[in-house]
Amino acid sequence: MYKNKKSGIIGIIITIIILILIVIFSNGEKNSSFFENVASNLVMPIQNGLTYLKNKIGGNNTFFTDISNLKEENSKLKQQNSELEQSLRELENIKTQNETLKEYLNLTEKYGEYKTIPGYVINKDISNYSKTIIINIGKDDGVKENMTVIADKGLVGHVISVTKNTAKVQTIIDTASSISCTMSTTKDAIVCKGTLDGQSVLKAMYIPTDKNIIQGDSIETSGLGGIYPKGIHIGTVKKVSNTQNITDRNALIETAVDFDKLDTVLVVTNK
Amino acid sequence: MKKTIINIILVLITFIIYFLQSNFFSWFTIAGIMPNVFIILVLFIGLFASRTMGTAYGAAIGLFLDFTIGSRVGIYAVSLGIIGFLAGVFDKNFSKDSRMTIMVMVLGATAVFEILNYVLNYIFLEINIEIFNFIKILIAEIIYNLIITIIVYPLIQEFGYYIENEYKGNKILTRYF
Repeated sequence: MYKNKKSGIIGIIITIIILILIVIFSNGEKNSSFFENVASNLVMPIQNGLTYLKNKIGGNNTFFTDISNLKEENSKLKQQNSELEQSLRELENIKTQNETLKEYLNLTEKYGEYKTIPGYVINKDISNYSKTIIINIGKDDGVKENMTVIADKGLVGHVISVTKNTAKVQTIIDTASSISCTMSTTKDAIVCKGTLDGQSVLKAMYIPTDKNIIQGDSIETSGLGGIYPKGIHIGTVKKVSNTQNITDRNALIETAVDFDKLDTVLVVTNK
Repeated sequence: MKKTIINIILVLITFIIYFLQSNFFSWFTIAGIMPNVFIILVLFIGLFASRTMGTAYGAAIGLFLDFTIGSRVGIYAVSLGIIGFLAGVFDKNFSKDSRMTIMVMVLGATAVFEILNYVLNYIFLEINIEIFNFIKILIAEIIYNLIITIIVYPLIQEFGYYIENEYKGNKILTRYF
């Protein structure tokens, strides 16, 4: 009926789209920042308001918890507190010991103080397979690409692109992310990759069978790879599993940060 | 004139779905799995307006999503564009008068979109493949999308035939003879 005219238009539109895509792909991500700025400026004001509203409503759910639960939790926390105090004292001992040893070795504190900018998570990827987040600080606040993003408990991810007032962060649980890390007791290097399995699990791959891996051991970044600074806490080893071959093993690592409830993050501006 | 109004409404719907998807559905999940309402929207445009419009809207919405939340430009654009095109093909071959066929179309479109998206992600972002988890998420997402389709079906029907009258003329009956 109207096939001839329409198919011509289809051809033109598809060609233009392919052209735009080729230009963008071939130039990396540099050219896209203008469009990203436009798009983010379009949705930012409403997005900010809605996030504020959601946080307000989300904060009120403690109202419904019953008292017996609270009591139980209280006693549990008290016990945990005493245990923590004990370990804190032990840690302080170790710290002072460490400092004196460092003085002996003439090591300066390389990663002692991070300069950070606080930001809010305002958006998440709509796909179930990738786990990037958007935060409400951008180029104007001094955020640049490849900066490390942390939360109060541990590593969150790194910045993959910035606009004027937002930044895209690839979290460590994203399937495209892989981090070089070390186990804190044995200092063995492992690689942690994001999985599709749940919100707070990483998979540590290629662990040689002759290396020790301890359940409950804490995992830190190793500083290799150039994006993440050394010594940021990632999580703890949850489960060790054997693969089919005998040369290496896998392990599941539980992240310290709860990505479901993540709302405030810190961007490290100096390495 | 009417076509302009329809287009404005469609753009508005896109924005509403965007905010719904990023604020409401990221919290209102089935076992941590979000639906993808954009698939339904693009399928619906392609089905009722025309194949061209479906493809164009799919690619445009996809590009917008790539710029706001995607990690690599082009992945959403290509996959949503193909869904729009697929909707045109569906329109030629199937009746859209019953709820059942629309649901089967949504099932097919969601599966195609997610598999395509995953493959593109695998090619461009070098993720490692986990077939079992992928299928688990895919099934949950399809079920969620079907539920939403059942809920909004009357709306789709009403608005859809209005758009179809405008774009294809009142040929609904004659097409089947």
